[in-house]
This record gives sequence, C-alpha cells and structure tokens, in this order.
Amino acid sequence: MNVNTREPVYLQVVRHFKEQIAIGNFVAGQEIPSRRELAASLNINPNTAQKAYKEMEEQGLIHTERNFPSQITTNETILQAVRQELILAAVDTFVDAIRPINVPVDELLRVVKEKYSEEIREEEEK
Amino acid sequence: MMRYIKLVNFEINRFSKIYLSLLLITLVSQFAGVIIVTKSLLNDARDIMKEERLSEAAYITNYGGIDFNHIANSLLFVGPIALSAVALIFYIFLIWYRDWFGKNTFIYRLLMLPTSRLSIYLSKATSIFLMVLGLIAFQIIILPMENALFNSNVPQALLSEMSISTITIANPILSLIIPSTFTQFLISYGIGLMIMSILFTAIMFERSFRIKGIIMGLLYCGIAAVLFLAPVLMEIGNFYFYPNELFGLMLAIGIILTGLSVWLGAWLLKNRVTV
Amino acid sequence: MIEVKKISKNYGRKKILDDVSFTANKGEVTCLIGINGVGKTTTLKAIMGLTPYKGEILIDDQKMTKDSYEKITFIPDAPTMLPQMTIKQAMVFMSDFYTSWNPERANQLMGFFKLKEENRISELSKGNTAKLNLMLGLSLDVDYVLMDEPFSGIDMFSREQIADVFASHLIEDRGVIITTHEIGDIEHLIDKVILLDNGSVLKEFNTEEMREEEGKSVVDVMREVYQS
Repeated sequence: MNVNTREPVYLQVVRHFKEQIAIGNFVAGQEIPSRRELAASLNINPNTAQKAYKEMEEQGLIHTERNFPSQITTNETILQAVRQELILAAVDTFVDAIRPINVPVDELLRVVKEKYSEEIREEEEK
Repeated sequence: MMRYIKLVNFEINRFSKIYLSLLLITLVSQFAGVIIVTKSLLNDARDIMKEERLSEAAYITNYGGIDFNHIANSLLFVGPIALSAVALIFYIFLIWYRDWFGKNTFIYRLLMLPTSRLSIYLSKATSIFLMVLGLIAFQIIILPMENALFNSNVPQALLSEMSISTITIANPILSLIIPSTFTQFLISYGIGLMIMSILFTAIMFERSFRIKGIIMGLLYCGIAAVLFLAPVLMEIGNFYFYPNELFGLMLAIGIILTGLSVWLGAWLLKNRVTV
Repeated sequence: MIEVKKISKNYGRKKILDDVSFTANKGEVTCLIGINGVGKTTTLKAIMGLTPYKGEILIDDQKMTKDSYEKITFIPDAPTMLPQMTIKQAMVFMSDFYTSWNPERANQLMGFFKLKEENRISELSKGNTAKLNLMLGLSLDVDYVLMDEPFSGIDMFSREQIADVFASHLIEDRGVIITTHEIGDIEHLIDKVILLDNGSVLKEFNTEEMREEEGKSVVDVMREVYQS
C-alpha cells in the first residue's frame, strides 16, 4: 500500500480494505490481522491502524468481539455496497479525466469494452 | 550500593591493561635494578680494594658496607614509582575526560544510569584510590624479595644488611608512600584524598562552565589550598599554635574541604554538567 | 506524558532554546523538526537531564530522578559504548545496571539487525552503530524513547530496517520523541509534529488532523511555515 501524505493515512487504510473486499481477497467473516500486525505489515503507525479499525467498525465493515480477532462483516448488503462504492469511485475518476476530451459516449463505451476485454484475455493467458 | 560497586569494578577493569603494565614495569625494573646496581657496586668495591690494596675488613672500616640504600636510590628502582605516580595523577583527569573526548562519548551511558550522580563521582574516586593502594601494596610485597635477592648477591663480608623498615625510613620516596604508623597512613592518604576530591571538583567546574569553568576550577583549588594551609600561614605571621592544635585544625579543615568538594562536585555533576 | 514547560537555555548571548513548550503522549510518535543547530538535540538532552536548562520538564507528572532512567531512554546520534567493547559486553553492561533490560527482545533485535555478539564496537559501520544504539535502547522496557536523528547519514537499507523496527517494535504503547531535519519517507509514522526555528516553537500540530482538515502533508506545512 503506497501512502499518500496529503490524505489521512487511516482513510487510506480503510480504502485499501474496501479494495481488498471488492477484489475478493477478503471474504465475509474472514479474520483480519490485529492492529499491531497490520501496522507492522503496512509500515504505518499503530495509532493509525487503530483509527482505521475504529472507522471500519463504525462503517460496519468489520466487527470485533471482545478478546477475539476482528473479522470482516458477513452482512451481504454492506459487502455489496462496498463493491458498488468502489465501482462508482473508479468510474467517477475516469469520467472526470475523460470529460474534457469530449468523446461521444458510444465511441467511449466501445473503446472501454475493447480495452476491458483485452485485459481479461491477457490475465487468462497468464 | 550494588551499582556503586559495579561501577568501581567497571572503572578498574577499564584501566587494568595500563595498571598491570605499571606493575610489570615496576617488577622488572626494580629487580633489574637490584642485579645491575649490585654488580656495579661490587665492581667498584673490588676496584678500590685492588687500588688501595685493602682487605675486605679494611674496606668496610674505611668505606662502610654495601647496603640496599644504593639500590633504593637508583633510577631503576625509583623510576617506576615516579612513573606510576605520574600515570595516576594523569588519570585523575583522564578518568573523566576520556568519557567525554574518547572516540565514543561514554559519558552518555554513565549519566543515564539509574544511579545517583554521587555514586558515579564516588566510583571514580574509589577506583583511583584503590589502584593507588594496590600499587603500594605491590611495592610492600616485592621489597622484601628484592632485599633478599640483594642480600644473596653480595658476599657476606661486604654486606651491610638492612631491615625493611630501615630501608623504608631511610629512603625519602619509600618513606612517603609506605607509612610507618597508622596515623602516618591516615595523614598521607587523607591529604591525597582531599587533593583528589578538590581536583575532581575543579574538573566538574570545567565540564559545567567550559572556559569560565577552568577559571572557577583554578580559583577553587587556590582557595582550598589557602584554607588548608591557613594555620601554617598564620604561624608565619607570628601567630603560633601548639603542635596538637595545628594538627587538629588542619585535620578539621582537611575533612571539611574533602566533604565540601565531594558534595560540590556531585552537585555540579547532577545539576550543571552538560554532555 | 512528557510535558516540556517553557524551557530556555542560553549559551553566552545566544538563545539555544527560547520558551519551548510541548507535550509528548505515551503511545504516540512526536517529531521535532528543524534545521541543524536549531535546538532539537538540546531539547532531548534537557529532557534526559544531560544538560541544564531553565523551566520545567515533567515525566508522568514528576520531575526527573535517577529512577526515571528505567522509564525513559535516549538514543543519541553518536556511538556511546567503549570502542574496545564487544557487542556482548555492551549488552552485559546494560543488563548489569538496568532492571528494565529485556534479554529476549535484545536477542530478537540482534537477529533482526543481523548484528553479531563478537563484533567490536570500533569495527562497526555507521549504519550498524545506529542499529546497535537502537537495539540497546529498545531492549529496555521503558515507557518513553527519545531518538536523535535516527535516520541521518545512514545507508538506505539500514534506514528501511530501522523504519521497520520503528513500526513493529518501537511504538507499541510507548511515547516516542524523535528529531530530524528531513522528514523524508517517515511522515506516515508520525502522530505529532513540532516545528522549531531558532530555538522556539513555530507550530505544533497533529499529522492526521492536518491531512483531514486541510489536506496538507507535513512537508506542505513545513514549506508554509519556514518560508514566511
């Protein structure tokens, strides 16, 4: 995880988790590392890890029972919402970037479809 | 208390290489002195006996027997003692300055130990004091051996044997460092301790205030010297004391000066010294 | 909590420290930033009782005593053990005098830093000397760790190792104060920043708050403050 120094690090950690969930690396109910382990592996301040966990707890992404390791939520609604959130965020970024170039929507969608299929093909060949 | 002892042990260990060298040099030099000087004395005696055609008994009547004094006054004998004294006087300063100006600033470690600054001060003082005592003890041990070696190397007829105590008293340097009475011991080593503590405190002034501190240190030494010698100085001004009074006064002043120096030195080490 | 209350220190006419005040909390990393000579090291030495100062410094609401040295340690930017000692002897020295010495952690860090007990202090490279100092300081079960320029003048690989130890072993529940003149790549490890210039505090702020509220990195703030 590359750290951006202009954005709160704890929010970057939360986003990182959401990405992992959307990708499928973290599944429902999966145990996640402790705050300390996370800090050590991401090379961040344990306080930041603490804050990130608190935020994720509040957003319902994880839940921690006393004395047990934290787990990713099993709530499907939330998990789907995360996926949606990330898709929308990526699309947002893309649209903001491409809008100034003034491409007709059909041409745009065609290019996107080509590029996307190409990427999938390359991944399957690996 | 334990930490103080550990510190003393540590300080002595640090100096052990040089210390053992000093002991070794003393041993070798003094024994060499016995052998070499004896040989030279015997040669001289034989030369004289030949020239003046004296028998051994006549030689003794005219020139006196060959005694250990000649050895004790020789350079090979006195040299190492002087060397050791100089080394230890240097070390009174070096024992502090090496921690600041060594390749590594060890003073950080000492001042961050969970032990009082007074312990640190006292541990250095104790180490030097013990090492001085060690040197003296070593000399006391090897002197009889040297005397025995001497006695066995000189033909009976020419020999003028001396006892250890006579040797000690007759030699100015030996009589200074090997006291003959307990009172003498207290006086010599008491004064030594006082001087060391005054020097330590002067060093603390320098380490606290740098250049200003050197001046303060020198001033402190000066004032201490004047105070200690005050009774004697007053005698010069025609104000006389009985010997007992003089002794008592100087003893009291000496003890006060030592205590004050230790207290002041430790205080500076705790509150004013900078790394 | 370490409270530094209006400390000042003069060297002749020059004010090395001018009414410096700040707090460093347990469990947080506080960073004193400023160019060389601005008083950062002097501040740390003052906290450690290694230099006199005017003002007050409290550690957990108490003035510094000799026992405080079991609770707080200082890792200077210089070698401090005797050059002829081996690393083993240095560790024995520490364990002899400190009840807070933790031999398991010492061995752990020795392994992590790949230091060998038989090595002599005088033979260590600058990077290894820094790691040794770090190991000796962190092997004490103290509440507060003060580090002076832990990353300066050290090769990149050693820096990474040290940053690693920082994140994993160091902070835990401890209060850490570090000084540096370049924030470099360790911004994300720091909770609070204190900017110093000419012996006084120009600004004190919390890094995450600064990012959240103003979208500024530490470097951005430094640029702002030092250029005005």
